[in-house]
Amino acid sequence: MAKQIVNAAPEAINKGVVSVEQQLRVERFLNYEAALMDEHEYDRWMALWTGDDITYWVPCNSDDQDPNTGVAIIYDDRSRLLERMMRLKDKAAHAYRPRARLIRNVSGVVPLSVTGEELEVASSFSLGEIRTGTENIWFGKCHYVLVDTAEGFRIRWKKVMLLNNDEAIPNLTFLV
Amino acid sequence: MSTTKSNIIGTDRDYGSLVKEDRIHSSIFTDESVFEDEMERIFHKTWLFALHESEVPKKGDFKLLKLGRFPVIAVRDENEEVQLMINRCRHRGAQVCEATQGNAKSFQCWYHGWTYNTKGDLVGVTGEEAYDKTFDAKEHGLTKVARVGNYRGFIFASHSKEGQSLDDYLGPAKKFIDILIDASPTSEIEVKPGVVSKTMYRGNWKQIGMDGYHPHYVHVSVFKIFSKRESTTGSAVGAIHLEDPFADSSPSLTRGFPNGHAALDFRFQRLPHAKDNTAELQQSEDGRKYVEDMIARYGKEHAEELIAWHGDPHLGVFPNLQLIHDHIRVVIPISSSETQVLMYPVFLKGVGQEINNKRLRSHEAFYGPASNGSPDDAEIFERVQRGLEGDANPWILLGRGINRETSDSDGTVSALISDEITQRAQMQEWKRLMTED
Repeated sequence: MAKQIVNAAPEAINKGVVSVEQQLRVERFLNYEAALMDEHEYDRWMALWTGDDITYWVPCNSDDQDPNTGVAIIYDDRSRLLERMMRLKDKAAHAYRPRARLIRNVSGVVPLSVTGEELEVASSFSLGEIRTGTENIWFGKCHYVLVDTAEGFRIRWKKVMLLNNDEAIPNLTFLV
Repeated sequence: MSTTKSNIIGTDRDYGSLVKEDRIHSSIFTDESVFEDEMERIFHKTWLFALHESEVPKKGDFKLLKLGRFPVIAVRDENEEVQLMINRCRHRGAQVCEATQGNAKSFQCWYHGWTYNTKGDLVGVTGEEAYDKTFDAKEHGLTKVARVGNYRGFIFASHSKEGQSLDDYLGPAKKFIDILIDASPTSEIEVKPGVVSKTMYRGNWKQIGMDGYHPHYVHVSVFKIFSKRESTTGSAVGAIHLEDPFADSSPSLTRGFPNGHAALDFRFQRLPHAKDNTAELQQSEDGRKYVEDMIARYGKEHAEELIAWHGDPHLGVFPNLQLIHDHIRVVIPISSSETQVLMYPVFLKGVGQEINNKRLRSHEAFYGPASNGSPDDAEIFERVQRGLEGDANPWILLGRGINRETSDSDGTVSALISDEITQRAQMQEWKRLMTED
């Protein structure tokens, strides 16, 4: 699961590819993204995505499932992601009402590489969910391509590898 | 008190009285002892869908399954036959196969090293000298599932040595299964064990099924999304919802078959759109070739029908198989209030990559734990399971359309798309099996 970190270039682990200040900026950003997702702030979360060519990908069955030959839990480009936001905000989307109470912890933030303004980052999360009296626990590893802009980081590409992506899981009623 | 037979868990519940013509008692959804009886009287007696033969294409390919209560290995043996064997060493009971899928030349039990080949024969007993002549390895092979049947690549299994043939059991439902298979110009479909949407809901297994009444309400948010899109092509090989297929005024029907099978019959609603579907396909290279190949194989008239129906039988084969849109759906009951639903996207053989890609994306959009469609169904089933706790008035009403049923010459009963003929057909079979001696 932690393949991206296991396979990271030695300098990404040893000296690190970003400064200490930049590391903290990345961590604050990912914690901010997590807070927006926990609070169901869908418009503000959508505003974190940059450009027309974005991908939000949650593979199914295996972390390396090729979306061209296999099914994904989520494999959204910008137009599908906007439709997803429509549903998440729609009171008539019954799976999403009532909304889940969520707390997630983000950790294991390791910047893997820097290419100009783009930053490749690995991180992980554990998430507690309570909805209609049922508690679900979720775990995942994330792999991002972030873009550093004057307004702060933005997301261009995000892959979420859920621990249970090959198990029979209940409704996923929030963003991961 | 009912009489009990040795292989049936006895209860003193009169199942016949729980299923009336137009209503059923909600305890059959909530009572755990009913669930145990269902395991014995339904899942360990009748035909269950096991897997599609394309999941184990080569010798030694295997996949683990759960059929009723039993863990089962499905394996393509050295004679190219598909064997279904219980995953339990005949010595002291350990599972002999732990990988969920793969390829093997043999199955070795790691408790004491006993080895079985892919036909299930016991071919290796460690320390053989400790056993005398009375021990015959031939008597201790992996236990085979009692009966195995195959309908055009769909492999079914029964834990009961006796009963209806598979062919009789499927009856008129067979020609609906054909709609899926014949969407391929080579009449071949493919399912991959590692490519499957896996979901669960905290509700009873009997809730999921053919229902033409719910989409306007359960899936209202999806209709909104569709209305905003420029093109509402439902699936790669060409169905276009140019009119509402869930309106009672449409030619769509609900259909009930003998043995509890049921379908949302969209054939007549889709046929008028055949030319539009074909035209849409002609706009791409892969689509043009597909139309050409379909006509070559099935003749113009039937090819047009099949293209209009786009491989979607919308069929439920009682008790655990449904063929809906672009997938094969397997229903696995875990308890009276927990059900797993596995949805295997179906790949068509003999078509261009673009066509299967579109099918995949279309499947993903509506089916899966974070999709537009199936989560709302799961949510509703969970709301039902919570509501059923309040069983002061225990009867669930299933009488919608009971006065406007039509009996067809092939023994099926049909009604309008919002009618509950599908639920009634399923429950009549449930009652038959639960009260059978």
